[in-house]
Amino acid sequence: MNSGITSIKLVLLGEAAVGKSSIVLRFVSNDFTENKEPTIGAAFLTQRVNIGEQTVKFEIWDTAGQERFASLAPMYYRNAQAALVVYDITKPQSFIKARHWVKELHEQASKGIIIALVGNKVDIVSSGGERKVAREEAEKLAEEEGLLFFETSAKTGENVNEVFLGIGEKIPLGRPDEQSGLQNGGVRITDDQRIDLASTGSGAVAASGCNC
Amino acid sequence: MGVRSNSSEMYQREQSGSLNNGGSSHRNNSSTNLVTSLMKSWRISSSSSTSSPPQQSSRDSLISIDGNFEAMAKQQTSAKRSSPSPYSPMRYTSPGLSNSTSNLGSGGTSSSDAPRPSLITTTHRHSSTNHHHHHRRNENTGGKKVSKYFKDLDEDWSAVIDDYNMPIPVISNGGIASPATPKVGRSSSITSTPTSSTTAVAPENVNPTFSYPQLPQLKRSISSDLRSQLEMENERDAQELNAIMQRIAKFDAILKNKHIINQQELRQISWNGVPKSHRATVWKLLIGYLPANTKRQALLLQRKRREYRDGLQHIFSTKHSRDVPTWHQIEIDVPRTNPHIALYQFDSTQTSLQRILYLWAIRHPASGYVQGINDLVTPFYQTFLTEYLSASQMDDVENLDPKSYITDEQLKDVEADTFWCLTKLLEQITDNYIHGQPGILKQVKNLGQLVKRIDQDLYKHFQNEHVEFIQFAFRWMNCLLMREFQMGTVIRMWDTYLSETSPETTSSAAISSDLVPPHTPTEPKSATFQSPAQDFTSPTSASSSAKEEISKMRQSSLNEFHVFVCAAFLIKWSDQLMNMDFQEIITFLQNPPTKTWQETDIEMLLSEAYIWQSLYKDATSHWQ
Repeated sequence: MNSGITSIKLVLLGEAAVGKSSIVLRFVSNDFTENKEPTIGAAFLTQRVNIGEQTVKFEIWDTAGQERFASLAPMYYRNAQAALVVYDITKPQSFIKARHWVKELHEQASKGIIIALVGNKVDIVSSGGERKVAREEAEKLAEEEGLLFFETSAKTGENVNEVFLGIGEKIPLGRPDEQSGLQNGGVRITDDQRIDLASTGSGAVAASGCNC
Repeated sequence: MGVRSNSSEMYQREQSGSLNNGGSSHRNNSSTNLVTSLMKSWRISSSSSTSSPPQQSSRDSLISIDGNFEAMAKQQTSAKRSSPSPYSPMRYTSPGLSNSTSNLGSGGTSSSDAPRPSLITTTHRHSSTNHHHHHRRNENTGGKKVSKYFKDLDEDWSAVIDDYNMPIPVISNGGIASPATPKVGRSSSITSTPTSSTTAVAPENVNPTFSYPQLPQLKRSISSDLRSQLEMENERDAQELNAIMQRIAKFDAILKNKHIINQQELRQISWNGVPKSHRATVWKLLIGYLPANTKRQALLLQRKRREYRDGLQHIFSTKHSRDVPTWHQIEIDVPRTNPHIALYQFDSTQTSLQRILYLWAIRHPASGYVQGINDLVTPFYQTFLTEYLSASQMDDVENLDPKSYITDEQLKDVEADTFWCLTKLLEQITDNYIHGQPGILKQVKNLGQLVKRIDQDLYKHFQNEHVEFIQFAFRWMNCLLMREFQMGTVIRMWDTYLSETSPETTSSAAISSDLVPPHTPTEPKSATFQSPAQDFTSPTSASSSAKEEISKMRQSSLNEFHVFVCAAFLIKWSDQLMNMDFQEIITFLQNPPTKTWQETDIEMLLSEAYIWQSLYKDATSHWQ
């Protein structure tokens, strides 16, 4: 089993209060807190997931969103293999910021970095709130820049695990022959079985993930 | 040389004491480990102290450390009463040291804990009995050896502390002739005596050379093994209550019916904690918002509160075009400020914080609003609210809606006071929040260097695990460790932190221009405004450039002390951290087990920081 553990260093970037920490909290603890204290500097969390025969350990750096802390970000994305660029679908400004982060990552981060664009807070729209960032607009950006794309709700948990599953599938894991198996592979969290990615839906990933 | 052998003796003693202590093995390791580092540091300080021979009398030194010993002694009692604390109590668990604390208490009470002599004569026997139990049971050492040990220990401390540039402005003004005038005979006599003792309480007839009269009693009291646990607990409770009352009396003596409040005395005593009944006033004085001249206070408050209201009026008028990103950022942060405390969920509180933070942000464009400042505003806010609560309600301030007990106008006053005190606090740490946050980066770097010297094993372990200090310490600096502790302990911590700030910086920058007339040597009040920082500069330089120099020095003082607190905090977990890998270390430090910390725990931490700072002052000389 030891040989089967692969670590994925993942960083979250995005404007303040778009829900970066909440997405991580949902993924790691399957929990949600309405008013989470703003992250200062960065927070580190981990979560283990089984993808096929592989155990994948996500090592997550959840960065602070405020502009003043942006100079710290390179330290965290420098060696990252994956990044979630998060915005709030009800805050157009946060989408503009997301574009900037994507650009910066392409320029500064390591070449093969897998980036997922994540529009969070879909629950607000589901409950009658106004969407301010069109899904098509974000899909277009994802296509142009070669990003995975998801719309999520950390509050309800919708699509959150799929983001990480999608990242896990994109990253070369262990021996190459295992990778082909991943496409159909059952994926589940081993740690304490809090989340079962396999049941919540590789289907959803296929639907919302961008295949470029 | 002498210091070195003494400290090694202490080391052995400490070790044997803790090995036999019946405590957990972890405790042993920790205290041994720390004493080892302490030894290292003493070696350093002994070499530096030879280069600059001690100038101060041993009495001064003892006074200056009295506060720390007081905290340690306090810790000691509480640690004994409660179950083993979640963190290691470090080297202070040594029974020898606690005994010497008692000695210090009775011998060295000339100033800071002056009312204690009476307390000690009545209770000392019991407390020393208690200590002695441990001593006896653990070590079976003869009284003679013990007495030698005490003596050595005292000398050690004197040697260390003599060679130190005080963060507590206790004796710093001692060498400078103060402009005593008949008008303020009382306060000027205070500042001119090197001990700066409280006239009301401190007897001057303290014998500066220590004999240890308690020792025979210690021996006799062995028989009191029979004393029941309950009885002792009751006594300790009574003792604590007594101590609280005496403490309040001391603050009263400094604050009540005074024309000029002696800032130095206030700083000295506040470093060890401020009773909640006095906290709001004391904080305002410490940070330099309220002038020491009590006759000016009412006028100043009136003026500053009006100024705040005018400021609000302006930002909500059409003349002001709102800085939308800043407003928005504050708006999203206010509801997630102290989300676990009910007070911060009320609309009235959130409105207050929004106004305070926004006004501060637009008045300080170089910095602007930075996340973390929303944390720093809250201790002021809730402390100033307590002024409107009765003594019995004060503890409820975190649960009550301010609207339920004060008027809108009163709330604006609280906001105004909070705003100005926040302003003054942030003036001292401006570099933390400007672009690039150079202040924080520097502090993090200093912390790393300090830990490298104090606890090299831990430093190396971090290197091996690729743990970088900025990964966990950034938040420690950005929020002054507020996220690491519960609000109650943070507030206690701020008693000390605000005692480390300087009114000079602030009064020269903000108040002096309009409200405080410039110093002249003949003016009586210059005696009280004399900053401890004057010690660092030549007494003759009173020019404005020197003043700038002073404020620069003082500005670093809180920052510098904070780094030592962070070092003490980190090293407290050293044993645990040594057995952790990267992931465990970062996770642990992001969520340290401090939920159950009491005031005594934080006092312990502050005392440790103080000692590190005194031992490593040479390490900080290039921090500027």
